[in-house]
Amino acid sequence: MTTVLICLLAMLGLQLLTPYWWWVMIVPFAFGAAAAKSGRKAFRTGFFAAGLLWLGTSLFLYLTGSGLIATRMARMFGLGKSWLMVFVTTLIAAVAAGVSGYAGYAVRGLFKKAER
Amino acid sequence: MGMEASMKWVRAIVSLVLAAAVFWGLDNRHGTFPALGKLLNPFAGFWQNGSRSDAVPEKLVVPGLRDEVRIVWDARRVPHIFAQNDHDLYLAQGYVAASLRLWQMEFQALYTAGRISEVVGPVGLRQDIFTRRFGLPWAAENAAHAFRDDPKTREVVDAFTAGVNAYIRTLDRKGLPVEYKILDYRPEPWSDYKCALLLKAMAYSLSSYNQDAALTQMRDQGGWDKFPTVDRLFPFFPPLVDPVIPPGTPLDFTPLPVPTRSGAEGGGGNRAGERGHPADSRLEATPSDPGGFESPGYRTGPGIGSNNWAVSGKLTRNGFPILSNDMHLELSLPAIWYEIQLSAPGVNVRGVAFPAAPLVVAGYNESVAWGFTNGTDDVLDWYDITFKDDARAEYLTGSEWRKTTVREERIKVRGGAAVVDKVVYTHYGPVVRQKDEPAFANMNVPPGAALRWLAHDASSEFSTLYALNRAHNYADYVKALETWDCPAQNIIYADREGTIAIWHDGKFPLRWKGQGRYVLNGADPADEWRGWVPHGQVPHVKDPDRGFVSSANQMPADAGYPYYLGWDYASFERAGRINEILAAARDVTPSDMVRMQTDVLDIRARAVLPRLLDIIKEKPATGAEKKGFEELRAWNFEARAALIAPTVFREFWNELNRLTWDDEKPLGAERMTRPASQVMVDQILNYPDGEFFDVIGKNYPIETLTDIAELAFRAAVANLEKRLGPWGDAWRWGKVKGTTLRHLARIPGFSREKLEADGIGHVIGAIDTVWAPSWRMVVELGPEVRAWGNYPGGQSGHPGSKFYDDFIDDWAAGKPYELVFLRSADESNPAVVGRTVMRGGK
Repeated sequence: MTTVLICLLAMLGLQLLTPYWWWVMIVPFAFGAAAAKSGRKAFRTGFFAAGLLWLGTSLFLYLTGSGLIATRMARMFGLGKSWLMVFVTTLIAAVAAGVSGYAGYAVRGLFKKAER
Repeated sequence: MGMEASMKWVRAIVSLVLAAAVFWGLDNRHGTFPALGKLLNPFAGFWQNGSRSDAVPEKLVVPGLRDEVRIVWDARRVPHIFAQNDHDLYLAQGYVAASLRLWQMEFQALYTAGRISEVVGPVGLRQDIFTRRFGLPWAAENAAHAFRDDPKTREVVDAFTAGVNAYIRTLDRKGLPVEYKILDYRPEPWSDYKCALLLKAMAYSLSSYNQDAALTQMRDQGGWDKFPTVDRLFPFFPPLVDPVIPPGTPLDFTPLPVPTRSGAEGGGGNRAGERGHPADSRLEATPSDPGGFESPGYRTGPGIGSNNWAVSGKLTRNGFPILSNDMHLELSLPAIWYEIQLSAPGVNVRGVAFPAAPLVVAGYNESVAWGFTNGTDDVLDWYDITFKDDARAEYLTGSEWRKTTVREERIKVRGGAAVVDKVVYTHYGPVVRQKDEPAFANMNVPPGAALRWLAHDASSEFSTLYALNRAHNYADYVKALETWDCPAQNIIYADREGTIAIWHDGKFPLRWKGQGRYVLNGADPADEWRGWVPHGQVPHVKDPDRGFVSSANQMPADAGYPYYLGWDYASFERAGRINEILAAARDVTPSDMVRMQTDVLDIRARAVLPRLLDIIKEKPATGAEKKGFEELRAWNFEARAALIAPTVFREFWNELNRLTWDDEKPLGAERMTRPASQVMVDQILNYPDGEFFDVIGKNYPIETLTDIAELAFRAAVANLEKRLGPWGDAWRWGKVKGTTLRHLARIPGFSREKLEADGIGHVIGAIDTVWAPSWRMVVELGPEVRAWGNYPGGQSGHPGSKFYDDFIDDWAAGKPYELVFLRSADESNPAVVGRTVMRGGK
């Protein structure tokens, strides 16, 4: 839980300071490589941290003036309902972050001496 | 290496490859599919393009301003800019235009520059090649040089450019218009060249339409005896058309001698091929198209359609003139126009502007009002070129060989290698399509011919707008018009002193009658343009006895006018209807004029339907045929969205035309429109047994209008049943027409589709499927000028803004807004919703 929160706050800061989306992959990768206890946890931490961040932000924007543009984007993507854009946004971030977190963990495994 | 160790490697590599693939997939576009990571990022992607940006900033620092500029915003998001000098005024206009419409401005510029492939990739390549072959970037370069040579235009355009760039510099990734994010590119700096591109885009849209290649084929098909056919089907002075300048208007000038061409008078043009080109082989490279004629709907396409009229104070209730204007263009989102008021010492003007250019284009100030309809004169000719050899380095003119030049067009293609197109230029202009090259979808280009087009010449249309924005009286208006070259326009005028006028204004080559109707011979110096119609001698009229002036793109003047300007003008309906209403008008009010702009009475149907119904009255057999007949018989000739009659009549009319004309078309004709509607109406009313109704290639029996009308009606009903299903709701005109405002990049969800609105292209309220009134304006002159207007769209170009498409429903319903026109920045007005103060800085 704490790790999710730390990852989330790190991404939030970096996303506010720079326009790059890929912090939601870099941060989980770094976490996975540096601190994750297992591949599953690395995936889960990234998945929830990025998912929650993008869910919260897009939902907030959706409810405070971006509903119309979400409706148009949903039509552009052939989706029936505008809230599906929140869902897709969340899902994309979560999956990308999860995959990246797992990859970070897996790479670290190469440099670890066999523990048993 | 142990089993476990190698598993680690596999796991690491697989997961890394997977993560990299996800990264790559989300960070890049795939065909037209956007880069999802960038686009969905809530911190910088589309989520940032909501309506929060609709808030009016109170203060802005805009580098380059000399003094303070105040912008007053009204409730429809119209900016009213108050500056203390011209420089600041146009700089602020550039800034505001960019803040409302930056993506549209740049996209149009890229399109006209032949650079669309840079954004959309290889799918744009053919379009870019055509644009460049047609010489549009070259034309814009010539225009930009002309701006720089004129100190006033230079100041205006440079200030506007600085304003656009000041806005672009404020944009971080998050602030970019959403289309940049979807298509994944960034705006580049604005320039005066891009303002010039806008002018040339309009020139292309309004003055490039031509049928030279098709008419030449028609003429050549059967030898000289076909001349009479061409001239009867495409007459110089068509029946039924009431010209812009009232017949009988005396000339107020002494005309120049008109050039002649032996043997060509009336026949129009010499026959290229006389000088050793076998005429029959000249167009051989043209692939044949069994569809020969295009549907008549195409005619309403290329800029053919706009109305304006001005009624003298003699006919109005308040005793001052009223001016009306609606310009018909292709519908789009963002809309082609935006509204603005521009005020500085010496100018206070209100109207509409193009986002990509400074100044008000059509509008009014406290003294005068003006507006436009397209002239559609012939300012584009094709010259068949005799190259010395395949190197195309030299070509024949008279008895000498002249050298061509080559302009290398380098087209960058997104996701591909750049394409270099070497365009051969003659002294006429570019050779758009060589003989061994395939046809373009954009236009019927005669192969191997050079293009001579007025829009390639340097010109100074912005000078005209600058002066019109500041005009106080008729003399100012006439003076302003001197620099208007292309595209030729019917520029209508009214002022508070009571004057009304219309000038069919533009630069016109001095031609022999019919010159340029067919492809000309580039080797014969006698075929060249020889001089110009003096500006003061273009068709014009001031304060005619009838008490009104008007135009609807029709023939500018009758045979009493000494110069030949072209032959392919709009058909008779809109002009005829406007003039019949105004001829009976008394005690006119602005609301009468607003209503008249949405008049949808179809005088074509009124002219022919009684005769046609009389012919077919015994014939309807099926249920749908009977219903269709009854519907037409009960019809009041109004093209209303809720009626079925307009649907049936249009199909009936198309079938009549198809059955009458398509057998006359030249063999192997590539593309060609059918004769204009007035020719058909004339045939129906006056020549029911005439030769054109007889089906060519079939000797017996001889068909007449009676046979054709029956066949056409049956076919029309059958077509509709096949296309729309059984008789019912789907047949209603509004549904069939389905007016659509497409987003410029065709992004689904950003367009408005299938709007049901009254009207059709050839009635005054000319809302068609994609062509429609792009700005409707009514101005009542007087001690206090008042005006009403509306356009299909909204002030903001941002699809996430509530101002993106908020005018459309009222526009479709024919409801205009009263336009807010302020005397000063401090004036209190209930419609004012916000104020911005702009200051220079740094």
